Amino acid sequence: MFEEPFRWMEAISTRHSYVREKLSKGQPVIGIPYNEGAIILGFSPQPGKIYEIYDRIALGGLGHPADVERLRMTLLDMAHAEGFNRSAEDVTIGRLLQFGLAPALKQNFEEIQRAPYLIQMLLAEINHEDNAEFFRVNYDGYWEKFKQGTVISGDNKVSERIQKKIDNTDFVSLALNKSIQSALRIWEEGRKKPALEKESLKSTDDRDELDDEMEGHPTDLKEAFERWNLEVGILNKNTGRKCLYSTLSVSEISALQSEVIR
Amino acid sequence: MTENFERINSSGDFFELLKRSGHNAQQSLSGIPKNAALEIPQGTTVLAFHYKDGIIVAGDRRATAGNSIMYDRCDKVIPIDDYSLMAIAGVPATAFEMARILSHNFEYYRRSQLRAMSTEGKVRALSKLLKDNVAMALQGVGGVSPLFAIYDTQQNKAFLYFYDMLGAEFQILTHVATGSGSPMIKGVLEHENLWGLSPLAERSEGEATSLSIRLLQTAAQFDSATGQARPEDKLYPIIAKVTKDGYQFIRDDEMETIYKSSMNRS
Repeated sequence: MFEEPFRWMEAISTRHSYVREKLSKGQPVIGIPYNEGAIILGFSPQPGKIYEIYDRIALGGLGHPADVERLRMTLLDMAHAEGFNRSAEDVTIGRLLQFGLAPALKQNFEEIQRAPYLIQMLLAEINHEDNAEFFRVNYDGYWEKFKQGTVISGDNKVSERIQKKIDNTDFVSLALNKSIQSALRIWEEGRKKPALEKESLKSTDDRDELDDEMEGHPTDLKEAFERWNLEVGILNKNTGRKCLYSTLSVSEISALQSEVIR
Repeated sequence: MTENFERINSSGDFFELLKRSGHNAQQSLSGIPKNAALEIPQGTTVLAFHYKDGIIVAGDRRATAGNSIMYDRCDKVIPIDDYSLMAIAGVPATAFEMARILSHNFEYYRRSQLRAMSTEGKVRALSKLLKDNVAMALQGVGGVSPLFAIYDTQQNKAFLYFYDMLGAEFQILTHVATGSGSPMIKGVLEHENLWGLSPLAERSEGEATSLSIRLLQTAAQFDSATGQARPEDKLYPIIAKVTKDGYQFIRDDEMETIYKSSMNRS
């Protein structure tokens, strides 16, 4: 059946729809700079959204946990083998994606007998000029680079709204705490918008669809902090260590919670 | 750099990753006649002891091959991860490779398993590297006898280990020195610990660094393979500490001051 080009294109198109549908409930992961580096953060019902990959590289993922794990391990293996065989300076997201992950993801997606990866990834890096850079990687291997920060989310509308806010915020001049707080408010605005949209929806079907989309999901920060886990990964270029990655501890998250919800 | 999508589980073992990527860290040489003229850079003094806040690790900077001084700015105290240091005595090529493998091993484990490797696991990892290196050590071209200092953040305690070339590990509760210059200072360390102004474990950072410089100068006085400090060239020993805040090297500008004050009788 697949020797006919149309059938192949149809199968690919169906595959896109299948993956997008599976990812639609993926909660946003936001990557933003701050005055000393980069931050990746996100809420999720289960822990396991933000990870360290290498000395200057962090990962945020959404999608099927098994797929996130498999690609995380792939990145870890590539980064550590390269860092050992050459140098830590040769381990960059650009190289990992362009010559490793992206072609493999694309090939996997287009081999239609194989199960596709249900994943979106956001990678952050402090490059060797000490600037923060962000990369968004799609399930089909397509990737983009951002300097101001970026977001991944299962819902494209949420992504667009959050991306617009990120582009209009001068995160680079903000200190760590302020930057995280701004990102959380942007997360909240991104989640709240559908509630406003709902008012304007005329048909009951449309409202039901939106209800399904938001079912069980916190829509404000207070609820999100109460029900979900916030994970914050930080790459601090001034740490004085070769590994720049750290996470906010439980007590730091609690302090952040009381500041943001005050 | 290749991707491997097929593998779905990981024990966080960097040795296994190296093997998969075709790297054979410890290969013995076979069928090679002994070359009497072969001179491999070695010769050293490195020392470590418990002090008030953790462990001080110090080493001279000289690498020699037979009677020749090959290099005078060799860093023999090497950071492995945020909380551990290795001091090397023996063949630098093997020792540096071991340090690189160890460093990647600890970080790979921590990142993949989402928790730091236990202190015991780290101590044994170095032992495994040395055991795998026995053939090279016996052939006389890869012998390494390292010290390993680590701060355990779970137990809030610093640990110090000495290894022989075959990979046996010995926990050190007071002080240790290794390398060709070590016999000259082991007695001094013991004397200082037993009858000095205070036991080594109670000494301040200033007292510990000062004693380290004096010991290395003493070793260099009697062992040609141990390099002396040369202030006129801004060449000082390497001294580092491992405490609850992780490892930290004494900066060159601080070393200058410490050296000057330590060379006076006090």
